[in-house]
Amino acid sequence: MGYPSVERRRVLAAAVLGRESDPAPDNADPLRAVAGEILDVSPHLIIIETPDGTEERLVIAPWATAWHGGDAAPTDLPVGAMVMMRALRDGRVVERIWADATRITGMILSIEGRRDLAVELDCGPHRGHRTITIPYRASGRLQVRHPKFEPGYLFDAIGIRQDGGSLALLPATSQPPYLARAVPSPPPVHAGMAAGISGTATWSDTFDEEERGAAYPMLERADTGCAQAGVSCAGLPYLSVGSLLRVTNVCSKRAADVPVVACGCLAGRFCDRCVECDTSPRGRIVELSPFSYVELGGDLVKGCFNAQIGLG
Amino acid sequence: MTHVWESQLPLLVVLLVLGTMAKVITVRSGGEPGALSRLGPAVLVPGRLRVPALLVCAAGELVLAAGLLATGHAIFRWATVAFFAMSTYVLLELRRRRPDAGCGCFGEVSSAPVGVRSIGRTVVLTGMAGMSVLAPVPGWVAVLHPSWLTAAGVALLLVLSPETAELIERARFRAPCEQRRGPSESATLARLRSSGAWRAHREGLTSLEPYDSWRELCWRFFAFQNHDHDDVVFAVYLSGRRPAVRMAVVGSEGSESLTEYTPVSA
Repeated sequence: MGYPSVERRRVLAAAVLGRESDPAPDNADPLRAVAGEILDVSPHLIIIETPDGTEERLVIAPWATAWHGGDAAPTDLPVGAMVMMRALRDGRVVERIWADATRITGMILSIEGRRDLAVELDCGPHRGHRTITIPYRASGRLQVRHPKFEPGYLFDAIGIRQDGGSLALLPATSQPPYLARAVPSPPPVHAGMAAGISGTATWSDTFDEEERGAAYPMLERADTGCAQAGVSCAGLPYLSVGSLLRVTNVCSKRAADVPVVACGCLAGRFCDRCVECDTSPRGRIVELSPFSYVELGGDLVKGCFNAQIGLG
Repeated sequence: MTHVWESQLPLLVVLLVLGTMAKVITVRSGGEPGALSRLGPAVLVPGRLRVPALLVCAAGELVLAAGLLATGHAIFRWATVAFFAMSTYVLLELRRRRPDAGCGCFGEVSSAPVGVRSIGRTVVLTGMAGMSVLAPVPGWVAVLHPSWLTAAGVALLLVLSPETAELIERARFRAPCEQRRGPSESATLARLRSSGAWRAHREGLTSLEPYDSWRELCWRFFAFQNHDHDDVVFAVYLSGRRPAVRMAVVGSEGSESLTEYTPVSA
């Protein structure tokens, strides 16, 4: 049984249950994410080639900052780097640039090396295995937040893509103290109904380019063909691929409707908190594509924001 | 004979107070955007009016409860009759327009779709309120001297309350339906095939096997095609022994218009 069209599911479910969708949330000053490859960069202008091959010229705001493995001036970014940018004013004015940023999330399978460490990660049944490098200069900083560099534990870091490989540079979270297969169960909810679904929203770069979507942990295993779905410590309701989530960034007060496009079986194994603007309740409730994450006001380097979700 | 007329007053007072409390708790805990469990007649009003509508309703119930308890004035009694009669109409309207919404009568425990039992309960309550109009004493006297008819009223309401089944399920599973692992797809399909909605529309389907099936919250959806290449979609509620089954025919993918909309309950 395939999916003829998962968008169709939304139409059918709304028809059979008589749902009327609420109007899309209205953000005062909408952000736009722009991605591409740098062709040229000057102090006031950046020229990129977008994934569909068009050339775009964007103004760099005077207060704009950039990140390329560390804070950098926009003019220091190398030509040819893949950038993700947060832009204002219909996507014409850039205020934040991330160059070659990647997120490395998975379960540690093996660790080799003495100075620079080569780590093999299991990134979930849909994303396969990935081997990344932890340079010696970053290993101390990573190990402060990831004390268990051992097979079976979870790993989550932010780094850069370089020469076809990935370098982990910053810890994206504090490593959960349990083995990846031993996720704590959610708290019993009837002791006082939870006020809504709050938790951590993170990002992942395993989505298609320019895709706006989310991976959601709580999907039925039979529907997705993913034997690891349906695990979460946040007490999430079951949804399906094609459901529309209304994600609200509690820190920036921005909201957007984001469709569930993938199974977030790995995100469900993290029972961590985000301390972006306040301490969030435990558990990752949604893993966003970089586009959705940036347009909701998230910072790729910080790795998470406090979020609430509802049905869109 | 006088005991007969006032026997249901304590019940009405208790239910009105419980209704007030449930609504206030729903408002206090409902700070989330686009709540997942949409409850009660509040879904019929626009989003920004939902909280004021619930609070006005809660205040009205409290005033009625206080009036019934403290005085024997006819205005409170007739207002209670009007309130429950209106509730019956609102539930009928809710069932027609939003078959997925629960009645919300007792907060989020009442999240199962509105069925014959919920509507039957408001009809019975309207009757009880009508009986109480003739009671010669104020409510507090009836509360102090309950009769066996009061107990009979409680039993009748319990039988008509879908919340009792939900409370038993919660005691067993410790999680609401949308967080429990559902019955297998084949078991749900078997439930669908034993429903009246299925028997009424089976003939028109090109295949008896669904081309798509998915679960969202406490519903499982099955999509079929009929001979006109329209989509026929069934939704089966995943909780309860005789779950609700809804059905709609939706025009093919090119035309987004709904050609027919037929809510049917098993």
